[in-house]
Amino acid sequence: MTGNYALQIDNRICVIMVGLPARGKSLIAQKIVRYLSWLSISARCFNVGNYRRLETAHPTAEFFDVNNAEGERLRRQAAEAAISDMFRWFDQDNGTVGILDATNTTKSRRSWILDICRKRNLEPMFVESWCDDEDLIMQNIIDVKTTSPDYVGQDPETAALDFRNRIRHYEKVYETVTERDITYVKLVNVGSQVIINRIQSYLESRIVYYLMNLHIKPRCIWLSRHGESIYNLEGKIGGDADLSSRGREYARQLPRLTKMSVGDRPLTVWTSTLKRTQQTAKFLPYRQLTWKALDELDAGQCDGLTYEDIEERYPEDFAARDENKYEYRYPGGESYRDVVIRLEPIIMELERQENILIVTHQAVLRCIYAYFMNVPQDQSPWMEVPLHTLIKLEPKAYSTEVTKIKADIPAVSTYREKGSSAKKPKS
Amino acid sequence: MLSLSDSESSSRSSSPPHLIFAHDDDDDDEDTNSSNSNRNNDHDDNNNGNNKQASINNSNQDDYDIVDAIPLANRDPVIPPFSSRVSSSSSSSSSSSSFSPPPGLSTYHADLATSPITGAIAHDNPMAGYHHHDLLTHARLRVPLLHGLKIHSDHSQSSQQRSVNVDAVHDTLSPTHVSPAQLYSTESGRLFHAGKICIVLVGLPARGKTHLAVSLTRYLRWLGVKTHAFHLSDYRRTHIQEGQPVPDDYFLVNASPTTVILRQRVMAACKNEMFKFFDQGRGQVAIYDAVNPTSAGRRVLVKELNQHGIHVIFIESICDKPEIIEANVRSVKISSPDYVGWSEQDAIRDYLKRINDKIPHYEPVDEQEFSYVKLYNAGERILLNNSRLGYLPNRIVFYLMNLHIKSGSVYFARAGRSTEVRPRYKSDPQLSDDGWAYARILTDTLLAHRKSEHELRVSQGDDGSAERKLVVWTSTRKRTIETASLFEKEFGFDCRQRPQLSQMHPGLLDGLGPDQVKAQLPDECAADRKDPYRHRYPRAESYHDLAVRLEPIILEMERISSDILIVAHVSVLRVLYGYLMACAPSDIPNLNFDRDEIVEIIPSAYNNKVKRIKLQGVESDKLL
Repeated sequence: MTGNYALQIDNRICVIMVGLPARGKSLIAQKIVRYLSWLSISARCFNVGNYRRLETAHPTAEFFDVNNAEGERLRRQAAEAAISDMFRWFDQDNGTVGILDATNTTKSRRSWILDICRKRNLEPMFVESWCDDEDLIMQNIIDVKTTSPDYVGQDPETAALDFRNRIRHYEKVYETVTERDITYVKLVNVGSQVIINRIQSYLESRIVYYLMNLHIKPRCIWLSRHGESIYNLEGKIGGDADLSSRGREYARQLPRLTKMSVGDRPLTVWTSTLKRTQQTAKFLPYRQLTWKALDELDAGQCDGLTYEDIEERYPEDFAARDENKYEYRYPGGESYRDVVIRLEPIIMELERQENILIVTHQAVLRCIYAYFMNVPQDQSPWMEVPLHTLIKLEPKAYSTEVTKIKADIPAVSTYREKGSSAKKPKS
Repeated sequence: MLSLSDSESSSRSSSPPHLIFAHDDDDDDEDTNSSNSNRNNDHDDNNNGNNKQASINNSNQDDYDIVDAIPLANRDPVIPPFSSRVSSSSSSSSSSSSFSPPPGLSTYHADLATSPITGAIAHDNPMAGYHHHDLLTHARLRVPLLHGLKIHSDHSQSSQQRSVNVDAVHDTLSPTHVSPAQLYSTESGRLFHAGKICIVLVGLPARGKTHLAVSLTRYLRWLGVKTHAFHLSDYRRTHIQEGQPVPDDYFLVNASPTTVILRQRVMAACKNEMFKFFDQGRGQVAIYDAVNPTSAGRRVLVKELNQHGIHVIFIESICDKPEIIEANVRSVKISSPDYVGWSEQDAIRDYLKRINDKIPHYEPVDEQEFSYVKLYNAGERILLNNSRLGYLPNRIVFYLMNLHIKSGSVYFARAGRSTEVRPRYKSDPQLSDDGWAYARILTDTLLAHRKSEHELRVSQGDDGSAERKLVVWTSTRKRTIETASLFEKEFGFDCRQRPQLSQMHPGLLDGLGPDQVKAQLPDECAADRKDPYRHRYPRAESYHDLAVRLEPIILEMERISSDILIVAHVSVLRVLYGYLMACAPSDIPNLNFDRDEIVEIIPSAYNNKVKRIKLQGVESDKLL
């Protein structure tokens, strides 16, 4: 089994968000954390607002007025608390990428942060979200006023008005990043233009690369495994089998199920190159793309065997896989980590796209799901993903919402619990 | 509306110092044409024991060293420092189906043994220990794209030998070629549902366009994206009749009608090959390397490419630092035959004047509806407009963020011997006494080499700037760290441990010798022989796995402008070398890194070059 060298990094980066409120900063910050964590790089976001709320839970717009000295003092205090926690995290928890999520809209604030980062030997990188697209801003305001802890329990209209006033206070002092000697990336109207300045390291370039693919328009992703296959019935893994009759029934039901959830939104369907996903998607009346990268985890020499066979023929492998399923690689096949690496283009493309339905396989679906739901590596390979179920993911500013829609078509369970012996599949 | 063609001088940019023109004739075209026919003959009957070699002292009479066209068995045994495997090329007769080479084009990148670099070292450099055959193996015919799609296919009968000692970044790929870091392949041969893309370069001469084109080709091919760079100047050279001079107004905006027609013909020929590359060669990314200075010309180009279903991305290279431009001119342009016999200062001045004459007609890209990337000062700042094109364009920008105009060499060296004869993967032994002696020799030899190289540059007119910086990378294993430790301890160089440089994981082979492996795992051995690049022994990594995990290292190699010494396991060195020299996957597992030499890769805009530095007093341990 191979260790993870692919992404070990020897520099530490402090990402400093810049931008007015309602420019998607928190969403971006949180996405960076998700992406890096998925690649096994330790990352964490420090939201200054959360620190500020400890003192001032429900501030009005006046609190953010630059002329409000007390407000200014409290906000600075919150920033200091967030930064000092971040430094502690870097030192004690071996953090690699810390993200300071705040507006940081003035040059003087930025230069203060720059100095303290450099003193700590952290590479500072500014990420600015600049936006003058009113629709996008409005969308964000609606999102924030309904989800932000600042406005819990308040009348939505009052909240929206107050929030707009808060933005005005920031606009008065906002200076966009133009400092030529610092490392920054500026996303203009969510990626319609990107300016990249003085990238210092590979890891920074990797983060910028990811940011270039992001958009913050509302959208959903639907995931489904293929319908029950002949191999599922026989308890075999891998292969390229046809659907069973129940699987075919799921394929026939899938358009109705999808329509219920998707409505009239435009949708693109992605499948793997294997027959069972294409047969499952056959009746869906949307544009379809086939991705080799969505093929099931390659079980190598175990392809076409049952878990029972594997336990019998490769007892050591069987045990080794339970011990560390994420890293375990089938002889001649793949590990979950291998799958994650080959899914990278898929994840990037998913970030760029809007509404997508992916019909794929258990292991691949677990990896994609883990990305959107921040599932840690020791758990993601063990998630139960039943057949004949449509999963809807809705990325929101603070988290992703999940809905599961069952097709009510019986199927075998392909789930095997950790440490359990291989059992005959039950019908 | 015709866009201004590439400039004369820029065209020479594709001709690094050591390239080309064997004779001192003014007329390079004739020269290359005649040698082309030679070459073809060599091809056709390279099994008839033809072991003609370019003589070191006589290279001016011999256009090409043809050593690479000779079957290994027929070579002088001292020649190949690397095993040169037979891969490549369907037979000449079957290759006629797609591209047909424009006349004379097939020789436009002949590397000659007259490299000022290698030549100087072999003959003049007081430092002993360079292999003479370096000269021979450097020199190799560039098989350009259009060589009738002479396709490298690992399964076909070979009629052409490729050398791993020559940068293959300009070779033609077969439609079914699979690259070193390619994760999977698709029916269409195109990846990521990104369709067909033409990257159109924009920029005045000496802005590093050719370097950009070649580097991007190297990287995208590494990822498995079928990429080819089309340098307009190559087509100009083949289109102007033998013996005819380039018309005086060829590079001017308001040229005479006959010149305009000529320019259009050149462009049409280039585009024609591009379309063939997309349609018949299953190509995915074409890089169109020309000045493309006018907005109107760019619009026409986009329209035409879009009609062929090809997406267009512009990459404009902008430079407002005179020192960068001058460095480009110095490193690439003035070695052009145009300036034979000129003093360096005069040549630079003249060349800069030629660039400056174009500036008034140059219109920077600001067509908002286009997808474009502007690179300022070699990547210091990047502006990306309308980036919604997809995965691949973004991936290209990702690479550009890491790309610098590289001047520093990469040196590869093995670790010294450890206290264990065959160290197990999990054991982490220290250097033996012998290993420490090796570390000593390695350190002293490399530093002496760098010193003499520096002196050589100074004597050749480099302005006496400080010696280039050196950083040392090792894996996290003690024997590599200790091997490099003298650089830090005694000379204060920066030594960094890079966990990604860990050797290929041997899995179940750990601790087994070759014979034991054969005896215990015969089936695995057979599978490995079939596909040594991709085969994974049980629990082990394959070379392919290694290539994928080394991407951060590869991009950082591109980032760093100083020299880099990498002390690592041979498996890692093979993969990194494979990237820098664009080796085929089938060659990579067989690259040889002998302990008694340092392998130096010297970057240059058009292609990278290899030099081997002998470590006197170190016992050879040929691995293969």
